[in-house]
Amino acid sequence: MTNQIKTDFDKVIKNLKPSKENINLRKKSLNKFINLGFPQKKEEDWKFFDLNQIISSNIKDLKFFDKELFNKKNKILIPKNALPLILFEHNKIVIANGVVHTIDFRYEDLKKINITNTVKNQSSNTNHSLAYLNSAFTTNYLKIIIKKNYSLNKPVILYNFTNEKITSTNINQRLDIVLEDNSRLNLINLFTDYSSDNFININHEFKVGKDSILKNYKIDDKENSNIKYFYNNIDLDQNSLVENFILSSGSKFIKNEINCNLQAKYASAFVSGIINLDGAKQHEIKTNINHLAENTKSYQLIKSVLNENSKGIFQGKIFVDSIAQKTNGYQLSKALLLNENAEFDGKPELEIYADDVKCSHGSTSGSLDENSIFYLMSRGLNHKEAKKLLINGFLLDVVEKITDLEIKKLIKEIIGVSE
Amino acid sequence: MLNIDNLYAKIDKKAILNGLSLKIKPGEVHAIMGPNGSGKSTLANILSGKQGYEISGNVSYENKNLFDLAIEERAHKGLFLAFQYPLEIPGVNTSNFLKTSLNAIRKSNGKKELDALEFLKIVKEKASKLKMDEKFLNRQLNVGFSGGEKKKNEILQMSLIEPKMAILDETDSGLDIDALKIVANGVNTLRNKERSFLIITHYQRLLDYIKPDFVHVLMKGKIAKSGCMELAEELEKVGYEKL
Repeated sequence: MTNQIKTDFDKVIKNLKPSKENINLRKKSLNKFINLGFPQKKEEDWKFFDLNQIISSNIKDLKFFDKELFNKKNKILIPKNALPLILFEHNKIVIANGVVHTIDFRYEDLKKINITNTVKNQSSNTNHSLAYLNSAFTTNYLKIIIKKNYSLNKPVILYNFTNEKITSTNINQRLDIVLEDNSRLNLINLFTDYSSDNFININHEFKVGKDSILKNYKIDDKENSNIKYFYNNIDLDQNSLVENFILSSGSKFIKNEINCNLQAKYASAFVSGIINLDGAKQHEIKTNINHLAENTKSYQLIKSVLNENSKGIFQGKIFVDSIAQKTNGYQLSKALLLNENAEFDGKPELEIYADDVKCSHGSTSGSLDENSIFYLMSRGLNHKEAKKLLINGFLLDVVEKITDLEIKKLIKEIIGVSE
Repeated sequence: MLNIDNLYAKIDKKAILNGLSLKIKPGEVHAIMGPNGSGKSTLANILSGKQGYEISGNVSYENKNLFDLAIEERAHKGLFLAFQYPLEIPGVNTSNFLKTSLNAIRKSNGKKELDALEFLKIVKEKASKLKMDEKFLNRQLNVGFSGGEKKKNEILQMSLIEPKMAILDETDSGLDIDALKIVANGVNTLRNKERSFLIITHYQRLLDYIKPDFVHVLMKGKIAKSGCMELAEELEKVGYEKL
């Protein structure tokens, strides 16, 4: 891989033409990545998701450069039906094959939003190998600053689109978002993949200022054979709040990792999610909720529905620093295994160094209750309908955690849950 | 309507029904009484299609082999079981469930499915007859319902579905006297020349309000004695042991 990645790196640099300074930064990142390599199962955080092995057995000859990404003449055409019909008004960012395609904040006061889209990326605060890979290769560095006291009028949908021309390629995407004090943003990451067998490596880093609210939703629903790693780092200042929701269903492999750093008092972090899989898909949600100040709060609820040979994983960690007294941390994971070949791995972790805290966690997995199915069938529903109703019921309370009503409705439509 | 002929049933090699025979004609109301463990609930479960029993013997429903019909097909063809222990289904809205159930049955009978408004009108009317607070419609199915509320919910489903043959499995247990009267009234309203009932109960109490045409005593998996209302009264006096 080393020779290939170095050759590809030179090609990327030739096409991107960044400054010397930026080339150096990228080179450093590249070398760090080469040293570390893809994460493997011997690393504790990757024990259920051996990325190195997953990539080598699912992608034949992974490339780090594809001229298609830089083909400016041949503008990437997004088929009209590629983007799901979103019926509510929204701002949009379209990222096609990892390259920023459209930025349209038509509903906002543009004096209140600062958007930078450049080749010159800044190094990530994160020091794991995939962040280095991202820093070395990302084609765009997108940074959005929401100014103090500004609440966006409409949500922002980030359309992550890939087309069928890209295959066996590593695509990197980088986005930094800063919410200055007392600002609000609702962000929806929507994946629409027409490509296959790529490794998509996304790094979004947020700084949420005092009294600010970030709602961060992710929808990966369209069937595709890509492997994804979606990393979020979210730093939270005093009295700020982040609400995360993950719908994890479409890709063959995906690991969503969310780090929330509750850095000042009264900050809160919510993470809820649904892993809904069939076939041989394997999805993981990994959280690190770091309570670093007094009176901070976190809540996590993950529900998994696993069909056929699929595998769901939830590794949820609550860390409480010795100064973070009066922390309130909660975590619950429930998995429904619909086939004896399906697998769920749960690893709750509580690491607590303060003595006046309230932290709890729970984890269950099981199959559908046969008596409930019988009850519903005795009322005229066939087996499939009875099962669907029970699964809907199982998932409903997670969906209800979504506080944005339009998004809640959208998610309900996507997964076919009704009240 | 329903013809049970020499029915045997085992579960985990334990014999529960031992040659039970019973014939129910259209419009008839039959009551089955019997001590604990005599096989009453097993009979109800087998008739509505619950799996896990080793069965022999014949049961015909409307002159067809009942065992050829899947659980939901029995419901589609008008067989209804009011459960002794209605299940709590978290996350499933009661109103939505009732509508799904009713429409599944209507659809299978070639009837137009009801839209939300049509359904709501009917369900509210039926619920008020059972003196049920409308708010229960928006609650999760049976979740946190009291015993009486659950049983009333079963009777509400019966009155919505209007089955041809209804089996009530100890619907009276756990009901106070007011709820008992309401439930009995729900049954009596549905009584007509075509519709049949099989009422399974421990006590005579419910039968005071729903006057059955026939009373049977189930002992050790078969009918030990049959008669009319007087048999129930006698049982109440002397108990099952003396039979």
